[in-house]
Amino acid sequence: MTGWANYLVFIVATGGFYALLALSLNLIWGGAGMVNLGLAGFFALGAYASALLTVNAGAPILAGIAGALVVGAIGGYVVTMSTTRLRGDYLAIVTLGFAETIRLVANNEIWLTRGSDGISGIPGPLKAELGGWFNAAYALGTLAIVALVWFALRRIDLSPYGRALRAVREDEQVAQVAGKRILRFKIEAFAISAAIAALAGALYGHFNSYVAPDIFQPLITIYIFLAVAAGGVGRVSGAVAGAYLVIFFLESTRFAAAAIPGLAPVQHAAIREMLIGLALIVVLRWRPQGILPERIPPAPRPQSQEAT
Amino acid sequence: MRDRSIRLTRRTALAAGAASLAMPAVVRAQGEPIRLATLTPLTGGGGSYGPVMAKAAATVVEEVNKAGGVLGRRVQLTSEDDQTNPEAGVRAARKLIDVDKVSAIMGTWASSVTTAVAPLCWESKTMLCTVSGADSITLLPHQGYLIRTQPNSTLQITRLGEYVLSLGAKRVFQMIPQTPFTQSSIKLMEAALKKGGGEQGSLIYDDKKPTYRTEVDQALRFNPDLIFAAGYTPDTVVLLKDIYRAGFKGKIIGMAYSINQKLIDQIGQAEVVEGVYTFAPSPAEGATAYERVKKITGMDNPDPYTCQVYDHANLVLMAIAAAKDASGTAIRDSVRKVSQGGGKTVDNAVDGIKAITAGEKVDYVGASGPCDFDDKGDIIDCKFRYEQIKSGKLALLKIA
Repeated sequence: MTGWANYLVFIVATGGFYALLALSLNLIWGGAGMVNLGLAGFFALGAYASALLTVNAGAPILAGIAGALVVGAIGGYVVTMSTTRLRGDYLAIVTLGFAETIRLVANNEIWLTRGSDGISGIPGPLKAELGGWFNAAYALGTLAIVALVWFALRRIDLSPYGRALRAVREDEQVAQVAGKRILRFKIEAFAISAAIAALAGALYGHFNSYVAPDIFQPLITIYIFLAVAAGGVGRVSGAVAGAYLVIFFLESTRFAAAAIPGLAPVQHAAIREMLIGLALIVVLRWRPQGILPERIPPAPRPQSQEAT
Repeated sequence: MRDRSIRLTRRTALAAGAASLAMPAVVRAQGEPIRLATLTPLTGGGGSYGPVMAKAAATVVEEVNKAGGVLGRRVQLTSEDDQTNPEAGVRAARKLIDVDKVSAIMGTWASSVTTAVAPLCWESKTMLCTVSGADSITLLPHQGYLIRTQPNSTLQITRLGEYVLSLGAKRVFQMIPQTPFTQSSIKLMEAALKKGGGEQGSLIYDDKKPTYRTEVDQALRFNPDLIFAAGYTPDTVVLLKDIYRAGFKGKIIGMAYSINQKLIDQIGQAEVVEGVYTFAPSPAEGATAYERVKKITGMDNPDPYTCQVYDHANLVLMAIAAAKDASGTAIRDSVRKVSQGGGKTVDNAVDGIKAITAGEKVDYVGASGPCDFDDKGDIIDCKFRYEQIKSGKLALLKIA
């Protein structure tokens, strides 16, 4: 596969990684109301876990991905356990710090992560056998995984568990009074969310065959926040739609900016950044609830007086 | 929703209108154009280098097109932004390879971006010319589809060590952020100094800190006669100010890619940078290509990356002419035929292509150096340019 088709399947696959990250963020931010600015950190954890297991330890790719899930979940557990008293902005700052810590560890612990050189030559599944069709097959596989995670999260969303999570989001004290063990809910949600982000990282690494600390700059976290905000916070389908919208927007601005004649390349690059900023403002101004807003079934009222 | 769709239509209409304005240029082309690309950091950490680099390559292509193109075909250059980020860089490279179908990508800057983009290039038989310095890059299994004009750290630091000794410095303190060449830079400087009876202290700092007071204190405790500031422009600005405030009286040396006119202007106090030495890979004295880069960029001191990407564009275009084929594989196979091995010395692609068409063998001597490559894609040797800041201006000391 070459030409446009290859480029498009590449974008579909990359969009899939974004979608998984958006699903992860949607669960923890939209579901449990905890702001996780450390998404890039969990993404990095998964990417490095799988890369190290397959390249250094020679494990099969599936074992690498499973390892990434475990490492991600443990990372999520550790972060929530060490921040049990923090909420809102304070939690956001700590998670941001966590992501930077992971990036700095990856940058400086050269014996383990090969430092800023990064790890290259990460194997891709059936890469030699598939040849030119690798990107297409990987994109399909990624889509299947996104669909699976989407389905699982939707089930959680509709279950009593999901309702309890939302109760924690709306008011922790009320949820506690109602007998919910909020700490356990938060830890579980955070661990699942972190594991999904780590899964995205593992898939990213095996697709691009290279991971390095530079990849996990806060830029990617910002893109995912944009995706979830545009798609609709608290809605599983919204996260997926938002992620694809963002990647589509990132790529199409390339062509739109280049279509303006008489500008230097640096001006095209600046226009792209401005368009992305503008898109965020437009969404927040005219569609703050996102394209697919969260649907909350109306609570039964104590008096059954229908409003006219 | 309706409101949004109208917006989109307007924007599409604008893009379509703009595209039709650009049409005549495409129609004028003789046959299928030869497609090349630059992938430089236009935004992000490398954003201060990439724009001029893209411009230098574009000027070379423009000159060649004015002189009739290559193989009777027009050359079309696409410039993308790698955002100094490997993830964004890979997306841009995928677009260049698949949609624009370029046969060469030139000017990747950050080592991490180059390492991320390189597999895409060799898998699709696209030539990659880079300015990244990490030793590991040319060790990738690139099958020849990669050359770099930046001397690797071994060559650079060994020569710098010799120079530092010649300045009479015996106790050198190296201050360097974490980069792909940090470890080798420290090790090689240590080895070079030891040979001349010198000694090194070193410190790896975080390049995003707003102040380096404690780092400078630590450096001064070593009691150095010379500080080697090996960072990039933004962090070196802060570092040099803090070194000055600490009252350091010894010598300071740094890389010309970070200590440049931009840095002097940003610091704004001539006494802070007075006497600072700079060091850069360079062409031999009197090489004409460097003068040409000065002219086309309008800079008194074009940075080494701009010189290198100028060389990339010239080399790729001449390699296409020599191979009579514009594919990436043809460029790979013939780039060394125009870069080295004797023949008529040329400093630009227009003259080179003319000579090649006339059946002559050419040997390109570029703006960044002689541009001779070994089998791994590393440059074999190059001269270095030593400058010193004197009353707010860079003054040339020697080229050797």
